[in-house]
Amino acid sequence: MELEKASARLAPRSPWQAVDMGTQMFRRWAWPTVRIWLAFTLLPFALLLGLASYQESWWPLVLFWWLKPAWERPLLAWYSHALFAEELSLSQLFKRWKQYALPGLIAQLTWRRLSPSRSFNTAIWQLEGAQGDQVGQRHQVLHRAPSTRAGMLTLVMFHLEQFMGYGLLALVYTLVPWQFNLEMSDWFFEQSVLQTAIASSCLYLVLCITEPLYVACGFALYLNKRTWLEGWDLQLGLTRIGKRRKPAGVALVLLLGLLALPAVEPAQAGNSNHEDLHVEQQQVIELLASDDYMPFETRTSREWKDRDQDAQDSSWWQKLWEWFFDDLEDQMDSAPNKPFQIPDNLIWAVFWALFAGIVLWLLLKVSSQLGFSGTRRKAGHAIPTHVAGLDIRHHSLPDDIANAVDSALQQQDIRTAMSLLLRVSLATLLREYPVPLAAGSTEQHCLRTLQREHGNAAGIEVLKPIVNAWVRTAWAHRPVGEDEVRGLLNQWQALRFVEVAHG
Amino acid sequence: MSHPNTLQEAAALAGEIEQRLNQVLIGQQQVVREVLIALIAGGHVLIEGVPGLGKTLLVRSLGKVLELDFNRIQFTPDLMPTDVTGHAMYDQKTEQFRIRRGPAFTQLLLADEINRAPAKTQAALLEVMQERQITIEGKAFSLNEPYMVLATQNPLDQEGTYPLPEAELDRFLFKVMIDYPDHGDETRLVNMVLDGTIRSSLDVESLTPATDGAGVMAIRSLSDSVLIDPEVLDYALRIVRTTRDFSGLSHGASPRASIALARAGRVQALVEGRDFVTPDDIQQVARPVLRHRIQLSADAEIEGQTPETVLGRLLDQVEAPRQ
Repeated sequence: MELEKASARLAPRSPWQAVDMGTQMFRRWAWPTVRIWLAFTLLPFALLLGLASYQESWWPLVLFWWLKPAWERPLLAWYSHALFAEELSLSQLFKRWKQYALPGLIAQLTWRRLSPSRSFNTAIWQLEGAQGDQVGQRHQVLHRAPSTRAGMLTLVMFHLEQFMGYGLLALVYTLVPWQFNLEMSDWFFEQSVLQTAIASSCLYLVLCITEPLYVACGFALYLNKRTWLEGWDLQLGLTRIGKRRKPAGVALVLLLGLLALPAVEPAQAGNSNHEDLHVEQQQVIELLASDDYMPFETRTSREWKDRDQDAQDSSWWQKLWEWFFDDLEDQMDSAPNKPFQIPDNLIWAVFWALFAGIVLWLLLKVSSQLGFSGTRRKAGHAIPTHVAGLDIRHHSLPDDIANAVDSALQQQDIRTAMSLLLRVSLATLLREYPVPLAAGSTEQHCLRTLQREHGNAAGIEVLKPIVNAWVRTAWAHRPVGEDEVRGLLNQWQALRFVEVAHG
Repeated sequence: MSHPNTLQEAAALAGEIEQRLNQVLIGQQQVVREVLIALIAGGHVLIEGVPGLGKTLLVRSLGKVLELDFNRIQFTPDLMPTDVTGHAMYDQKTEQFRIRRGPAFTQLLLADEINRAPAKTQAALLEVMQERQITIEGKAFSLNEPYMVLATQNPLDQEGTYPLPEAELDRFLFKVMIDYPDHGDETRLVNMVLDGTIRSSLDVESLTPATDGAGVMAIRSLSDSVLIDPEVLDYALRIVRTTRDFSGLSHGASPRASIALARAGRVQALVEGRDFVTPDDIQQVARPVLRHRIQLSADAEIEGQTPETVLGRLLDQVEAPRQ
């Protein structure tokens, strides 16, 4: 890699500045990259769209989406050459396809397909040609903190794709004449073939923009990480100095000096002088092995790692206070004219608390919508304690119903007798045939629900005249005759006797 | 023509009317029942349903079975109030103003797609519905009883419509939802048309009258003697009052709803053949009485709740009365 040929300034940047550089790369080479995207994907997309329309299925289009890592390979190949002043032609890209497209492609299309760092990782396979264990080691090195933000880039791009896609779709639906009878609302429920084709084409058009941009940004993040790790900016600077200060011996000395810099990490084996490295490694090993370097000590108590004694002594709220307001003092010092300065940490704490609250609220909302909340209906219906205002709990009923009814009848209290009979029948039936009842359920509603859920079982058949007699007694103020109450009681007792006899 | 003298006769006659209507309007038993209750209770009905479910057929059949005059007005955006009520026109021959009575001078008025007309025209019906009279050029004309307005509106295709004001909605005793018949009923309907038992057009000629307007008034009069226990009346009031402070509702029902609920409960009991009202009767008529008198809160609407679901929840929560 000839870094001096790079058409972008290779300097250590923050991840978002690197993404900005990727955006600039896309803006500069927008047409060539879009052309490459179209050359490699238009035909497959058209075929898959045709298949999707023919089969009235979404699967061919899902397949196109799934193969995105494969479609991105030519773009990365082109960017990686274009940055170093070599613009590949389409025919060259087609000819070299096997070389750059196949390494690691199977992994990217299977277990690594949903990796959020795809834009970044593709370079490890495609540009470095890493294989087997090397891939894992390179991942470890390149993904070391600080974060590359490749996952965040994917998230942002995903949203950009969705917004642009739906925006374009809405525009199309707005412009389509009404005679075509296209309703945007139908799109969410049942789509015709035409609607599927329109939606897919809109998404494809959006991808023509977002995919080259996504690959460029991922590539820029990759370059940035390597610049940080391998000091490409220093290397370039020293090279330039070396060129100015000929003879070449001076440059060589400076280059050796660069290799000796402690902050510069050799991210790729084989690029430096092996003998010098060997000597330095020996020195480091001896230093690490000496007793003076971080002597071992044995501790038996449990304690937090990397926490000094002072921190352990202070309570949690003191630490929180310091965390919130230590920065404020610094900020007040630096900006004395802003008396209402709010500490950054406090803003972040509020932000995260709000975020967590919203997520929790959404989860609760979704779970209640799906019926997963704590009020989930139990497998069996709970036996109600009251039906139509009548207490049907076991302990509220007399042990000997026949005697209690008899005694009420002797006192000419038909209402009490009927009430007892109804309560005991409901209590017994609802234990045997549980049904969902609410506080507003009336006697007749209870009867209808029992009939609907359990048919005309013998007990339910007996309940019917009891409810009718009770309704007449309670709401028409026309108590049924004593004989009728006794008859209903006998029917009920006979039924219970038969049930008990049958076990 | 039979005119009932007792509650039993009234219940039998109501059952007869209902049965004849169900012969023509297949698979809409609930709608027929609710319209009949509203007619006996002296109320008006707002019917909501997609076109083609037999709304006009229902009104024509009702007119035929009860021997009542029937008129239909198709509400449109350019319909004027005088097109509904009538107006005074100058007669050049007699050199006097002559009253030209509008279609509202009838006994059964079908106001088709009432929400298509602007508020001014809708308001013309207010006096008709509430006062049972029409005033033209300062002169009030009483309408013949029984008088009933059956207004329809389409839940779909709401563009260019004028939603009914709450004052007018409150004047409808019931809002009846007419839905597609179930599979069995629709099969029966199609078979009856195919084998010529009924015609596919609005054929009500085969219907014979069960009674006349006086018969209906007799049933209405008898329904006033249906017993309503104070606890049951209190239950009806509790239901209405709960709508005023219930989650999911921003606007509850007015006292007119309490009156309507009790009155409709009585007729429901009569139609069921009883001379007393049970809490179940109140529950049966609570939905048609209340569904157009409540307003969902914004939260409930966003959550996709409907007046039906909220009322279902409300009826579950209001405790049934105890004796």
